[in-house]
Amino acid sequence: MLSSFQQSAMEFSVAAPGAVLTSGAALFYLRRVRLERPAIGVFNSRDIRILFTFIVVLPLLYVLLPHWALTCFLSVTFASALSIGLRPVMRQVPMWILIGTLIGANIWLNRTMLGTVYGWQLAWLEGDVAVLLAAMAVSNLYVQGGMKLKHVSGFALALAFYDILFTTILPVNSHLAEEFLGWPLDPSFGMRYGLFNFTIGVGDLLVYSLFLIATFKAYGRTAARFAMGLIFAFGVVAVCVAPLILDNFVTARTDVAIPAQTLFGPAAFVAYLWMRRHYGPERTMREFLASDDVVRPTAQPAPAPVPVLDPAPAPAPA
Amino acid sequence: MFETGIRQFRMAMGMVWGRKLDTTNLARLVEDARATLAEFGEPGSDVQQVLDGPLADPGARADFITRNLRRTARRLDAQSPFYTRRFAAAGIALDKLDVETLRTIPVTVKRDLVDRQSEFLCADSTRYLATRTTGTTGQPTEIWLSRYEIDLLSGLGALAAVLRDEVRESDIIQLNVSSRATVSVHLNAAFCRLIGCGCRVIGLVSPDEALDSLTSGGVTLLSTVPSYLGELVTAARRRGLGPNDFELRRIDGGSEVLTPALAAAARETFGVSHVNDVFSMTEVIPVTGRTCSARHLHHDINMGLVELLDLETGEPAEPGALATVVITPYYPYRECMPVFRYDTRDVVRRLPEGDLDCELAGVPATGPVLGKASQLLHLGAAQMVTPRELAEAVEALPSQPWPGRFRAQLLDGRLRLTLPESALDGLSEVGAHDHFARYGLDVDLALVPDADAVSLRPLRSDLRETTFVNAPALIGD
Repeated sequence: MLSSFQQSAMEFSVAAPGAVLTSGAALFYLRRVRLERPAIGVFNSRDIRILFTFIVVLPLLYVLLPHWALTCFLSVTFASALSIGLRPVMRQVPMWILIGTLIGANIWLNRTMLGTVYGWQLAWLEGDVAVLLAAMAVSNLYVQGGMKLKHVSGFALALAFYDILFTTILPVNSHLAEEFLGWPLDPSFGMRYGLFNFTIGVGDLLVYSLFLIATFKAYGRTAARFAMGLIFAFGVVAVCVAPLILDNFVTARTDVAIPAQTLFGPAAFVAYLWMRRHYGPERTMREFLASDDVVRPTAQPAPAPVPVLDPAPAPAPA
Repeated sequence: MFETGIRQFRMAMGMVWGRKLDTTNLARLVEDARATLAEFGEPGSDVQQVLDGPLADPGARADFITRNLRRTARRLDAQSPFYTRRFAAAGIALDKLDVETLRTIPVTVKRDLVDRQSEFLCADSTRYLATRTTGTTGQPTEIWLSRYEIDLLSGLGALAAVLRDEVRESDIIQLNVSSRATVSVHLNAAFCRLIGCGCRVIGLVSPDEALDSLTSGGVTLLSTVPSYLGELVTAARRRGLGPNDFELRRIDGGSEVLTPALAAAARETFGVSHVNDVFSMTEVIPVTGRTCSARHLHHDINMGLVELLDLETGEPAEPGALATVVITPYYPYRECMPVFRYDTRDVVRRLPEGDLDCELAGVPATGPVLGKASQLLHLGAAQMVTPRELAEAVEALPSQPWPGRFRAQLLDGRLRLTLPESALDGLSEVGAHDHFARYGLDVDLALVPDADAVSLRPLRSDLRETTFVNAPALIGD
């Protein structure tokens, strides 16, 4: 049995790279890659309500579906998310080969390799790559689609209430974590140490990525550094330290389920209010794209002109 | 974004199934488009698909035409007394109607609309707003539109204008058209309300009043008829006004021949880069046409069928030949008093076969409107002079006689062109003949005093409206 401190340290060793790598990848992508968007449409507050409704309803669907149907559903979801992110940077055929390999390998690893700790770790590692890429793609889809920091912080705040409700009073989240464990396409970033699995959900990673890149888009680099610090403090450290202080999150199976958004959501919302007061209105996507926060491809030097020799003088007429 | 997707889907399904479109949904789509531009500065990359439809493929286009024709004809057969009789007389099965069998149905002409107006009203629609044509051809026609049509047409126009970045929220549109053009005025006001821009309906007042408004009110877009534009250019030059006095960025003109000389003068005087030459006609709205940089006229093929028929035979015109434009607006874009195969008698030249290379190459095109068929002058079996040729030659005279006033007649097989005296200022008789010869016109010239110029040719700018500006106060001192 692990001590609470050991548990926190190991959770930190998963949550910290998960949050930092996913958010960092999303930011890297935002600065360099432009996703296609529809002719008409901007992400707005009503979309947040629709998204939130999905988030409330989807776990219930996960609980009700048989595992084979859930795997099919998750395969389609992952394939869609990955294709959104990879399409602008890869050609169609290699892209679908990569997506097929990622999803196929995940299913195969989870069905055949979980007899050993190394097998578990390999399966987690492979799944983590898919989760990271999916969160990176979807966060960019939303922010490049016009989602503002205002929306992200409101979304995180709503999730704070959702998370505490569905972790403690109606423990759907912890039930889902148990259900997914060891099945293909677990939507979590995780790792196994000995007998224990430590994870952070793809939803949490998505919110962190959204918060970081929406802040960067809205207010630039300094604000983004502040956002990254906030993610680290409230999305990683506070989540890992919470079990040391509170024991309300231990389930009947002695798993520890932390409602991460309950800690991060209010902090993100207050931070947004402060940034709005401090920096003023958010930049539009148009203003962001016109700024030097975007990395533009350096122009290739023009090929050197081929020297043209003067035509040989025509022979004098005889 | 999710909602916008649903709205677009609903609208697309309405178009595909031919049901009446939800105009509230359309108005919200305009709001979505405005929000898109505010956030991104431009619509997404597939905007052309939204605007012009997926009709670049000839097969898809033929299928689209057939489905729309059948749907439109079936509704008219059920609701329009005029067309119930006409289709029955043609003895055609409307479920088998296509572009080929369509020719068995006679074209509808203006006389039909004038004589039997009430028979064109559809039984299942409610009249809301009537508009009368200006009667420049001698017979005004009255067209009724329903509330649905007003909401739909202003919504579709606003959506296209926002997505093409033709009109912005910061714009103010000045409307110098006849105030009796009720549909045009009503649609423009509704269109501006949806876009959130300003709409200044001035009417055809004295050009000086219109210029005062243009120079003082932050007007950025001007919509008028070419003859009135000519009066504005002339008045502006007389007053020494130039590009720095205006904030205009575009001028839209239509319903009359816009000549290159006048368009160039308007660009130079008002400091705009482009004068849009738009084809529109009350009887066949919402089917309109846009003029590209190559001076082709591209008709909208999403909302109606445009046929080009030989002036003599009524059969499809050969490439390169003159043709009358016959238009059938599709249901559900016209509801209250629709027409089917309406012969506009506007003459165009069919373009030679081959691919277009202009910026609107995906949309079928003709040459520009050359004038009304009744105003063509036949000099011989193969020689014809069109009103456009005459207008272009007259408005290019060094005296800059805008709008061009003239009367053209055939006398003893020769073309007699009557002009106001001042039109030939600065030209000798030989110089004048040389000028017209450069435009391919061999004319006998006759002159009338300038005071009689208006009687030579009626123009829309003659529908002058009066105001009390510069008149003594009615009450008080």
